[in-house]
Order: sequence, then structure tokens, then C-alpha cells
Amino acid sequence: MIENFLAGTSTLFGDPFTIAIFVFGVLGGMLFGAIPGVSMLTLAAILLPFTAGLDAAQGVMLFAVIYCTGTYGGAITAILFNIPGAPENAPTAFDGYPMTRKGMAGKAVGAAVLCSAIGGTASALVMMAATEPLAQWAIRNIGPPEIFALVFFGLAVASSVGGNTIWKGWLSVLFGLLVATIGQDPVGGINRYNFGLSDLAAGIAFVPAILGFFAVSEIFVQAERRAFGKHTAPKFNVDFPTIAELWRYKIAVLRSVIVGFFCGILPGIGATLAAFMGYGEAVRWSKDKKSFGQGNLEGVISSETANNAATGAAMIPLLALGLPGGALTAMMVAVFQMHDMEPGPLVFYNSPDLIWVVFAAMFYANVSILFIGLIETKTILHLLKIPFHFLAPMILLLASIGSYIGRGLVLDVIVMFSAGIIGFVLRRSGYSIPGIVLGIILGKIGEQNFAQGMQMVHYDLIAYLSRPICFILIAAGAITLGTSVYKALKSNQAVAKS
Amino acid sequence: MGNLSKVHILEASVWLTIAIVFFVFSFEFNQGIEIYKFGATGWPRAVLFLLVIVLIGNIFHQRSHGSGAQEGRVGVTDDDLDNVDKSLSSILNITAFILLPILYAWSLKPVGFYAATPVFAALVIVLLGERRIKWIIGISALIYAILIGLFMIALNAPLPQGTVSPFYDFSAFMLRMNTQLQHMF
Repeated sequence: MIENFLAGTSTLFGDPFTIAIFVFGVLGGMLFGAIPGVSMLTLAAILLPFTAGLDAAQGVMLFAVIYCTGTYGGAITAILFNIPGAPENAPTAFDGYPMTRKGMAGKAVGAAVLCSAIGGTASALVMMAATEPLAQWAIRNIGPPEIFALVFFGLAVASSVGGNTIWKGWLSVLFGLLVATIGQDPVGGINRYNFGLSDLAAGIAFVPAILGFFAVSEIFVQAERRAFGKHTAPKFNVDFPTIAELWRYKIAVLRSVIVGFFCGILPGIGATLAAFMGYGEAVRWSKDKKSFGQGNLEGVISSETANNAATGAAMIPLLALGLPGGALTAMMVAVFQMHDMEPGPLVFYNSPDLIWVVFAAMFYANVSILFIGLIETKTILHLLKIPFHFLAPMILLLASIGSYIGRGLVLDVIVMFSAGIIGFVLRRSGYSIPGIVLGIILGKIGEQNFAQGMQMVHYDLIAYLSRPICFILIAAGAITLGTSVYKALKSNQAVAKS
Repeated sequence: MGNLSKVHILEASVWLTIAIVFFVFSFEFNQGIEIYKFGATGWPRAVLFLLVIVLIGNIFHQRSHGSGAQEGRVGVTDDDLDNVDKSLSSILNITAFILLPILYAWSLKPVGFYAATPVFAALVIVLLGERRIKWIIGISALIYAILIGLFMIALNAPLPQGTVSPFYDFSAFMLRMNTQLQHMF
């Protein structure tokens, strides 16, 4: 492994053009991740056609680096503006934004930098050491029934960490699942709910929905506060957390690395579920559960470690099985195909050089998050000084471009602003925006794997639950759900008594 | 009725309407799939069924406890605007602010990005309370320049050009300028 890693390193840093691409990927991912309104996906969508002019290794490496640094960059906007750069940063905003409002933005961003670097580097190391055995384990043990069970668990976690009540948490998730049914059904390809619009046959694209629900709705919320004279500018602060402060959360970091890596390995799941589950587990094991959502540093640490830990792991199903774990890894498949290659087990034998350049680049990208991130963060924190009425049009316009570029459809811009209005109304009524977004993302994956899983077990529920991983995940989801309902009823009784 | 307010009834009615509309439209694609027992409607209808069940739970909760957040919930909306004095002008202002982006999105196809964007930026700044003309024009121009510099010149991103003259002509002019600029370097 070390020899291969050194060979990958020398290829990466032996050619000035490859170094330039690496640096561009690191800075571009961080920048696009950290600009509110656009994300790493916007940059990736713009760059996709240009990768045809690069070597296959350079193209895949560029996207892998953007994936690592962009996942970190999205935390900045989540913490500073309550606008997650990507869905995987949504749980980061739960505690990150309250910290900003309390004047602790520097601590939250500093923790995000360090934990993203730790999670990503740990994940890259495990990926280098164990891609092949892990891929073989995943092939043998993980199938559609297990993926559906994990989706169920993830949705149960999401419903329990957002919304004013358990009912609103679930209504949010179910609304997301309903939106995900728009477009072709994943089994028979039958058009559903296109309401006579041919552009809707491909479904609601993730990026406009995410930008609408997160970025646009937040702008509307802030604008409303401003209109009613309640807007307060976030407090500027660059005090980073001390090592001693962070050391207190070592168990949370370790737990999130494991959770993130496990979620990342599973095809189709990606970093989003990792972040939600990392956050959910932090709440579950904490002695001070009430402080979550109020500005608890552990919330930021758990979410950011988990989502970056998933980036390395997400390369395993991509490279070993040819299955992308999310939107950006799906674009990587397109890069492979542009170079007449198919990701899958044969890549390890046919193109080991490519694999090790990508692995080395991901490792160094995660390490560079720590160094460049700390410098960049001090600069980006100054964004807080820009008055809201000058920042808002910029964010709305960036979000418009980000929505349009993916498919070149004006409909996507309309969908984004409509999602913004719906998100604004639902937020004002106590619903969970991350719950809706996770429902949209996991809806198609859940349905597809449910259908395939049911076919595999011949629609026999006992046979389904006799698969150990399915049983554990379904039971964990049911316990999470049961605990939330129990707490809700207990809280209701307490209110009734008082 | 308990603690149920008109807003709660409206909220429940909206959810129920969504459920009914989606259920009725599900008959449009109610076809069997040979390899899959539950067909194309199985999953959406299961989601709708669960949505109605949860909606009933929500109504019962609101009937007993009103709109308050449950204890111990994480990521609860921080809403302190309920007791704020809302004047008609501020309500109209926020309504206009929310509708403006929809108008902008709708105008992108006929007018195009290049012509619609500076106007949109200026209107957003005005609706957010800025009244100094120099600042409105200056900041709008700066935002426009940044977007054009990043997406048109640096990244060559394809943006809507419009279909109606003279907006289409303006977009064509911008793109010609960009091509000439690219040739210079």
C-alpha cells in the first residue's frame, strides 16, 4: 500500500499541470462550497465538459478533490448563514448557526475545519488500506434489502431531529418522499405526476430543490425579520476552539468517523445520511441532549466529521462496483465514461495508476483542508460584515445560476424559487427543511431498493427480516421512531399536567 | 375544538388537499408492472397513506397542545415574529420580495439572464430597504460584474439568452464581447 501511495504521490506532484489541477480542485471546491447559493455540484456541472480534454486520472482526481473540499466548504455557509452548501451540511447548521448568533462563529468554523480534515483523512487512509476487502464484504452482505433498511433508519433519525413536533418531523419527511415520486418510477419507467409538463418527466432535480429549500427560504426568513424590524446581524468573531476544547469530543469524532465511513460504503447513500446519522448518534449518546440545536459544538463536530468520513468511503462502491453514492460521484462515472472506461472491479487491475493518483489526491486534499481551511476561514468570516441587503441579491442570483446550469432548464429556476416559498411557509409553521430535503434525496433510492428487495425475498416479510443487517437497521429505526413518539407523548402529558 | 385555531384547520386542509390531489392523479399512471407486484402507484400511495395517518396525529396534537414545540426537539424553528406588530406596508413589502424571484425566474426565458439580472438585483436591494440611489446602482453593477466575470468570462457557463428582441440582441452582444475577450488572451 505504501509503495502504491508513494507512486500515486509522485505521479500527482511530478507533473506541473496535474499539480495545477489539484490546486484548482482544492481551492475551487472550498470556494464554491463556501459561497452561499452555489455548491460544489455547480462547479462540477460546469467543469464536466472540460474534463474530456484531461487525462482520465486528472479528470477523476479533480472531481474527487472537489468532493472532499466542497463537502467541507458547505459547512461554512451552514454555520455563518444557516444555508447549508450541500444537504450533507444541513445538520451542521442545527448547532453551527445558533453558535454564530451567539458570537461563536469562529469556534464553530474552526471545529468544522479540523473535524472535516480528521474525518476525511481517516476515511482516505481506510479507503487506501481496505477498498478491495471492504468492497468484497459489501458485495456479499449489502443488497437492496439492506439499503432500504438503512434508508428507513436514516429517515427515522431525520424525522426525530427536525420540526417542532414528531408529527411535523414526519410530515416533512413524507412531503419530501412525495416530491421524489414526481418523474419516472424507478422500476417500470412509468411517468408519474408530470402534470402535463414534459420537463417534469425527469423528476425534480436535487440541486434546485436543495437551493430553494435551504438558501432561498433562509433569505426569505431573514427578509421577513428585516421587514418587521427583528433582523440582527450575526456577530463577527474569529476565535478558534482550543485543542483542549476539541479533545473533549474525541469520542464523538471517533463515533462519527465510523458512522460516516459505514454510510459512505453503501451505494446510493452518500454523505448526507452520514451527517444526519452522525448528528443523531451524538444526540442519542449525549448527557446534555437539550443543548443540541442551541449551539452545542459537539453537533457541529459530529456532523462535519461524519460527512467528510463518507467522502473516502463513497469512492469504494464507485471504484469497486461502479455504483455512485451521490450526485458528485455520479458525475465521476460520467468522467470515466468520457474516457471510454467503466468504474468497477476491473479498474483496479486495468488502471492501478489512476486509482492511486486519486487516492493520494484525496488524502492530500483532506490534509490541505486543515491548512488552507484555517487561512481561508479567517477571510470568509468577514462575509458576516457584508450588510444583508447587499448579500441577499448575490445569494439569490448565485442560486439561480446554480439551479439553471445542471440541466439548462428555466423550469429548474422556477422550481427553486417555488421550493423557497414552500420552505419559507413550512419553516414558519415549524416543519423541518432538512427532513424534506432528505426525503427528496432518499425517496427514489428507498423506492428502488424496496422494490428490488421485495422481489429478492419474494414479498416475504419474514424472509426480509431474517437478513441480519436488515433486522438490525429496521429495529434501530423502529426504536428511534418509538423513542421519539414516547418522548412526544411524555412531553404532552407533562404539558397537560402543568 | 380544543386548542385548534383557524390556522391549524387551514394547515390540515392544505395537507389533505395535497394528499387528495396526488391520490386522484395517481390513477393516471395506475398501470401494473410485470416484474413488480406493487406497480407504479404502490409507493406513492403508501406515502400518501402514511401522510394522512401522520396528519391525523398532528391534528390531535394541535387540538390538545396548540402550536408549541415539543420538549427536547432538536433543530426547532426559532420563530419570534408571532408577537411583532405587522404593518400593512411591511406585509406588502415582504410579499413583493417573495414574489419578485418568481417573476425573475419566469422572465429568464423571454428576457434572458444578461438583461434581467441587473434589474432584479436592484429591485431586491430596494425591497430590502436601501434608498440611496448611488448604492443601489453601484452594488447592482458590482454583483452583475462579479457574476459575468465568474460565470461568463472565467467558466464560459451557458446562461439563458432570452427569446425576445431587444433582450436577445443584448445577450448576443454580451456573448460577442466575451468571445473577443477570450481571443485577446
